[in-house]
Amino acid sequence: MITPFAPYRDGIANYAVQEVADMRRAGEDVTVLSPLPSAAHEHLVVGSATGMLRLLRRVGGFDRVIVQVFPELLFGACRHRIERLAVWGLWRAVAARTEVEFRIHEIDYATITCDASTRRTAVAALRAMGRRTVHTEAERRALEEAAPGAGPIELVDHGARFTPRTSLDRERARASLGLDESAFVFLSIGFVQRHKGFDRAVAAFSRLVGDHRDGIELHVVGDIRVDHPDLSRYRDELDRLIASTPGCHRRSGYVGDAEFDRWIVAADCVVLPYRNIWSSGVVERAHLFDRPVIVTDVGGLAEQAGATHVVSDDAELLRAMAEVAGVESSAPSIGVDVDRAGLERSIRRRAGTVQADGRDRVSDHLRRVPAATLAPPISGRPGVSYIKRLIHRVTSWQLQPIADVVNDLRSATTEAIEQLSGGERDGDTIGNGSSVEPPDPPGA
Amino acid sequence: MRSSPSTYSGRRGTLAFVPPRYGPGVVGGAEVVFAEFAHGLADRGWDVEILTTCARDHYTWANEFPAGATAVDGVTVRRFPTVIDTDGRQRDVLGNRLLAGERLTLEEQQRWVNDSLRVPDLWFHVLDHTADYRALFLGPYMFWTTYAVGQVDPDRTIIIPCLHREPAASLDIYKPLIEGALGIVFLSDPEQALADELFRLPGNTTVIGSGIDLPDRYDVETFRRAHGIDGRFVYYAGRREWAKGWLDLVEAFRIVRERGSDLRLVTSGAGDPTLGADGLDGALIDLGFVDDATRDAAMAAADAYVQPSALESFSRTILEAWGAGTPVIANAESEVVSWHVERSGAGVLYRGGAELVEALTMLDQHPQAYEALATQARDYVVRHYEPSTVLDALEDAIESWTATP
Repeated sequence: MITPFAPYRDGIANYAVQEVADMRRAGEDVTVLSPLPSAAHEHLVVGSATGMLRLLRRVGGFDRVIVQVFPELLFGACRHRIERLAVWGLWRAVAARTEVEFRIHEIDYATITCDASTRRTAVAALRAMGRRTVHTEAERRALEEAAPGAGPIELVDHGARFTPRTSLDRERARASLGLDESAFVFLSIGFVQRHKGFDRAVAAFSRLVGDHRDGIELHVVGDIRVDHPDLSRYRDELDRLIASTPGCHRRSGYVGDAEFDRWIVAADCVVLPYRNIWSSGVVERAHLFDRPVIVTDVGGLAEQAGATHVVSDDAELLRAMAEVAGVESSAPSIGVDVDRAGLERSIRRRAGTVQADGRDRVSDHLRRVPAATLAPPISGRPGVSYIKRLIHRVTSWQLQPIADVVNDLRSATTEAIEQLSGGERDGDTIGNGSSVEPPDPPGA
Repeated sequence: MRSSPSTYSGRRGTLAFVPPRYGPGVVGGAEVVFAEFAHGLADRGWDVEILTTCARDHYTWANEFPAGATAVDGVTVRRFPTVIDTDGRQRDVLGNRLLAGERLTLEEQQRWVNDSLRVPDLWFHVLDHTADYRALFLGPYMFWTTYAVGQVDPDRTIIIPCLHREPAASLDIYKPLIEGALGIVFLSDPEQALADELFRLPGNTTVIGSGIDLPDRYDVETFRRAHGIDGRFVYYAGRREWAKGWLDLVEAFRIVRERGSDLRLVTSGAGDPTLGADGLDGALIDLGFVDDATRDAAMAAADAYVQPSALESFSRTILEAWGAGTPVIANAESEVVSWHVERSGAGVLYRGGAELVEALTMLDQHPQAYEALATQARDYVVRHYEPSTVLDALEDAIESWTATP
């Protein structure tokens, strides 16, 4: 099996570990090759022509090769289009030597459809494989469209090999996580990325109203996968949004497999308002513990979600959360006259750029300064990318630390200013000593 | 052997202990603790396996012991080969950044921990056979064997972290290992306090220490004759390396000698004793690897035992020194060593090289002051670290945390 693998932590590595364990339990002799050093038997970077040549030499000893496909694995080390073409050709050669199953978790269709020769080569490579498998019907249709004539594409159940990583029941799971036994708990869990849409869950949660509203909580669990300015910026936005939403809680940092499952067991409903995704391991884990899931209708989630709630927009998301929790929602219907200034103030407060009393944050100006990043060494002009990469290689070791320091300074200054202004805000109380509440969201 | 109390459920099920190294010639306090626990429980009737690497040396991790299963004093020892197929450059670079106080990203942390020895066959053995074990004990926390294998089946995993304050202890990657484990066994109160500071500990934790088996007699005369050592000396047993404070010790000792002292420094253990020891010819006596009886006799013969390491999670050697009635001069930067010294009163703590020089000078000039300190030393060890007491506590943890098969 060619796959990312434990102890690296990501969805595909987790998926692969469970499949490998299951196959070995069934008596199969499984060797694991992973692109990075790990608990796999060997490591092998296959995302380049050189890597594929190494695989071609290695692969003869195996009866079957299962490849857990995602874009980085296929082409992560490729330098240009021609090399991607060569990689497809080499996959065809590998498939000629042994039976190959492409278990496609994610694929960039442009790496198939970018030009006629690439498409021909990719289709031939896919056709030469023993099996092409995806997790959902939507993915099958998309792949058939991108690679017509590639041969039959089979569906495999995403969660077929999943096994529980905790034996705790709901009560003990809640106790272990410090959750209120009597609360109704919504959970959004996974790596924090904009496309996962956890901010949509928080926004919908803030509009739940009703007699039992106080007993409802939303927990957003997980952190960014890698430190990247875009991801960090989104995480910061999400954190500010959560901090300004009563009843909403954040568990950041690293979450292990067992704790991950404990959160799902402890939850009353898992909310996954993804903006886009192929298929979701979290949905499968929720099914494993019979927890209801609310998902958006993107990728193959509707098929995965089974009997739980599939929503198409934020209004439906809110209605579904209200229904599951047994409360009402305060969603403004179309045509309701919303005060624009109030709406804008609310938006800015949620984004963390104004204080609770509506005044601009002093740090707002700093937050608007974009993070310092080195321009990517790419160009559409022939040969220029090469020169840019060369320059990047020669200079980045000196420039990147400077950019990092600038970003650190920016973050530290922003935080320091916000702490100072937070102190002022804390002192901003009315006569009886209770804090000034932030303005209600519009329509509330 | 301890009689079988009725409260224990027949000691059913197999226990696995997973240290990174085990066997003759392996030096390291944590390794001793794992061997002590494994063999102690086997002696009490438990079915015990040791799952470990084929390595003896923690610098090279070369496969020196043959892979496969053998029986050692009633314990099944399964050895798995280490794999080092990366150049280790990332580990060096990232490790230096870590030491410099930089925060590594999650991905960098994962690259750091995987860019050294790995033991895939051990990992797959546990993946395939985890259900065969009632519990798996893994440690110290920092090693790949613990980090990777400890997350295969957290519900059966008990970590003996051997934690001390160092940059790696606050890496995010260790949080799921510690926080998700079935239970944590600590060797001292300060270790648990540090873990409390760094992690959200699971419900099952206990402090049980490590048993110190004191000899009936210390053959000081034979030791002195065998090694040609007469006169006064201080002793250090352990790894002679920078991380253990060896350079500070030899530098301080050089200054004390320059002041006219005739104290000598006797040492045993792993590593290169000539490291930083230029000019100490004759004043530095290296015993190399020694057996327990020789070590104990050296402890008893010494005027003081020196513990220069700041990175200790238990520090067996100072307890062995106290068992022999010898006072200790110890680095206060180690929280657990400070805790031991303050509890027992059987030694002095120093902060920095200048204080170490003065502590050694005081020993040279006023030995009777140190002798007075050591009067309660042996009693402290007997009271807190009698081996059967420690094993009782370990069995209690197994019984209350794990299901009887």
